[in-house]
Amino acid sequence: MSGELAGKIERLERELQYYQREYNEIGARLLRLQEEQSRASREARRSRIVARLIRGAYQIVNRDMPAEAIGEPLLASIADTSVCDRAAFLTEDPATPGRFVIEHGLGPKVGAQVTLEQPPSFLYTASGQKIGPAGEALAALLGVPYLLWAYEPASRRALLLGNHTEGNIHRPFEASDQELVEGALSVYIDVLLRKLAETTLRQAATAAEEASNARARFLATLSHELRTPLNAIIGFSELLLDSGTRPPDREEFARQILDAGQSLLSLVRDILDFSSLSNAVPRLQLDWVPVGQLLQASVRAFAAETASRGIVVELLPVVPRLQSFIDYDRFRQILSNLLGNAIKFTPTGGKITVSARSTTRDGVEIAIRDSGIGMQPEDIPRALEPFVQLENTLSRRFPGTGLGLPIARQLTEAHQGKLIIDSADGRGTTVMVIVPPSRMRLAPDAAAGASPG
Amino acid sequence: MIRTAYARDVHASTAVRSCRDQLGPDRPELVLAFIGGKHPPEAALSALRDAFGDVPLAGGSAAGVIAGTAFGYSGFEIGLITFTGANVTPRIFTTRDLLADERAAGLGLGVVVQGNSIDGSAVMLLFDSVANVSPLRLHPASQLMEGFQEGLGGRALHVIGGGLLTDINISDGWVFEGGEVRKHAMAALVFPPNLRATTVILHGCRPVSTFMEITRINGPEVLELDGQPALTVVERMLGLELGTTSGQQLSLVATLGQKQGDPFAPYDENNYVNRLILRADPAAGSITLFEPDFAVGTRVQIMSRDNSLMLDSVERGVADLKTRISGQDCVLGLYIDCAGRASVMSGAATEEAELVISSLAPAFPFMGFYSGVEIAPFAGNYSRPLDWTGVLSILQRDS
Repeated sequence: MSGELAGKIERLERELQYYQREYNEIGARLLRLQEEQSRASREARRSRIVARLIRGAYQIVNRDMPAEAIGEPLLASIADTSVCDRAAFLTEDPATPGRFVIEHGLGPKVGAQVTLEQPPSFLYTASGQKIGPAGEALAALLGVPYLLWAYEPASRRALLLGNHTEGNIHRPFEASDQELVEGALSVYIDVLLRKLAETTLRQAATAAEEASNARARFLATLSHELRTPLNAIIGFSELLLDSGTRPPDREEFARQILDAGQSLLSLVRDILDFSSLSNAVPRLQLDWVPVGQLLQASVRAFAAETASRGIVVELLPVVPRLQSFIDYDRFRQILSNLLGNAIKFTPTGGKITVSARSTTRDGVEIAIRDSGIGMQPEDIPRALEPFVQLENTLSRRFPGTGLGLPIARQLTEAHQGKLIIDSADGRGTTVMVIVPPSRMRLAPDAAAGASPG
Repeated sequence: MIRTAYARDVHASTAVRSCRDQLGPDRPELVLAFIGGKHPPEAALSALRDAFGDVPLAGGSAAGVIAGTAFGYSGFEIGLITFTGANVTPRIFTTRDLLADERAAGLGLGVVVQGNSIDGSAVMLLFDSVANVSPLRLHPASQLMEGFQEGLGGRALHVIGGGLLTDINISDGWVFEGGEVRKHAMAALVFPPNLRATTVILHGCRPVSTFMEITRINGPEVLELDGQPALTVVERMLGLELGTTSGQQLSLVATLGQKQGDPFAPYDENNYVNRLILRADPAAGSITLFEPDFAVGTRVQIMSRDNSLMLDSVERGVADLKTRISGQDCVLGLYIDCAGRASVMSGAATEEAELVISSLAPAFPFMGFYSGVEIAPFAGNYSRPLDWTGVLSILQRDS
């Protein structure tokens, strides 16, 4: 090989080494540039997480769903945007500060609990970093080692995010992620509070609407109920003033005026009663009352009316010496209202059964069962509202304010009792008045027949 | 008849019901399901049973789902493909023996498929990628495919496929096999002979180093490049402090690429087989690759993921595919997309999957999933596993 050729080869080898070196250097720079660009892009994406969450949250909040239902979709949105493996919203037990319960969870079980001595407002875990007791407890709760945690003491709510692997997607969790997790928690709390406020507002609006409807019903019913007896009073009074009216007719007209007046008085009494019961718990004159006597007296008071209507009222035998600790007059009022209703809605030839039974578990249960028109199960709650008489062809025939049942229920509840209605359309109604066991006893023999009061 | 449906919900039952509503009440002959990894597999199976009865199931977990109208990788996505009719419904053959010996399992399945296919048949392979969670070990697709190809004998098939994951972080994976949820199993879906597949591979990596020779390697663990610790070589390239690197940092950045054919031919993305880096061992100075198919003497280059190249590759590849399928009776589009190509991981400004959907604008049923490894016919030869690629395949009725 000539010296010239050898020199050429040496130059070419040096040139090749130069290009290799430069290629590798440029390649390395390209590699780093690419990675820096990717990292910047991933961080930018990370920084947009809260903004994306806010957008997603308001899409959720605009959906027609109750406040307690927004946690799960919002958590899914957080897990999606932050690309974490597990996530949970927790609430702190107000009775036990530091005890957190999972309210919504992706991965962990809802209802799982953890107690933290001093809950930190922010926490993250990473390898090479000391994990304190709080981190260990939260990692055990979520079932993954790498965590992000934010806690807002004012609302007693927390957000916990976690990953199986440290390098999840972009990089390990770090202190700068505080903004992300706190931002996500704030979005949840804001949306939740807004939903709760909406719910409260809606409930208030519904209550106001119901009150307005009740007032309108009351006025409509009252004007009708007042007008009927007043018309009778005025009409029969005019007839009485007519000099041509015969004496036997005068007597009948005077009786009609008396009936109408009594009806008006009863109506006014009911309204005053209901009004006072709505505003305050009635003061009861409590005493041990023989249940058998109470029922007999109540049934007897309607003897004339049931006889005239051809309705049979059967009082079933009551356990001897059974007594209840009640206000005798108020309970008579309860039974009077219930029996009055039963008679009113039972057709001629029908039957009403009155019974009382007692158990140490349930107390005294007085039942009035009629064979009247009955009602649909869904109408029962409405029947307990004031001024409501259910719309049906039979009820139109019957006068009344619809206050009997509400008053009976209020008085029963004033005795710590319950009023339950069991009814089926066309198959009669049974109303049960239940007095708790604490107000029940079997009296000593000597007291069995004692009068109430 | 082939139909697809996509839904996303935190409850698998709700998502499956939504899919069922989209698919209509008819009973299909096969349901191919891709289930977001945050759904408990048993819940997903139960939901599918409730919706479809005892219809045969295939598929499994997916790091994300790519449908014709939407895509996502939150872990709550569910994508379903239903097949009705012998002229479109694939037959399913499976093996459950991946854990014992991937190569042997692939071989056994290849023999079965060889006996149940004809030359040119389209075959889709699906298996769970993660063999062991901690320490992380993948089922090496290269060994599976080596065995499978050997089992096929001389049968020339069009094989595509993917490794199933539960998430982008390679936490786990599972498959539906024999009506149950299983691990360490692989299914081969052999399509009817009247269906042919046209496939393009979408790339995204560029060489940034001169050729280096692997001088020490143990399975997937590359110990030395050109006589130097492999990790040192890569760290020096990246400007990282030596001995401080974790594998996950590297897997986001660089791959090792093996150029096929003439090593000095101009750059062509289709000539490279890339291997992602699974982990690094600073003590041994080694890097462990996703696959163990490199050997001492293999000449490799360090490759950089290039997001703009990835998007260019999508546009080029889809345009090429559209030309090739023009005028054909396309019945199904399948997209098997490396999970690392999702923008949350790659940092790409544009979602690559979105670009695939918008560029292809399929007028036929379309479904895809994010995978751990992709399998596709490479350089006109037998199919092999690939990393950092998107495998886009269209099934057409044979004219």
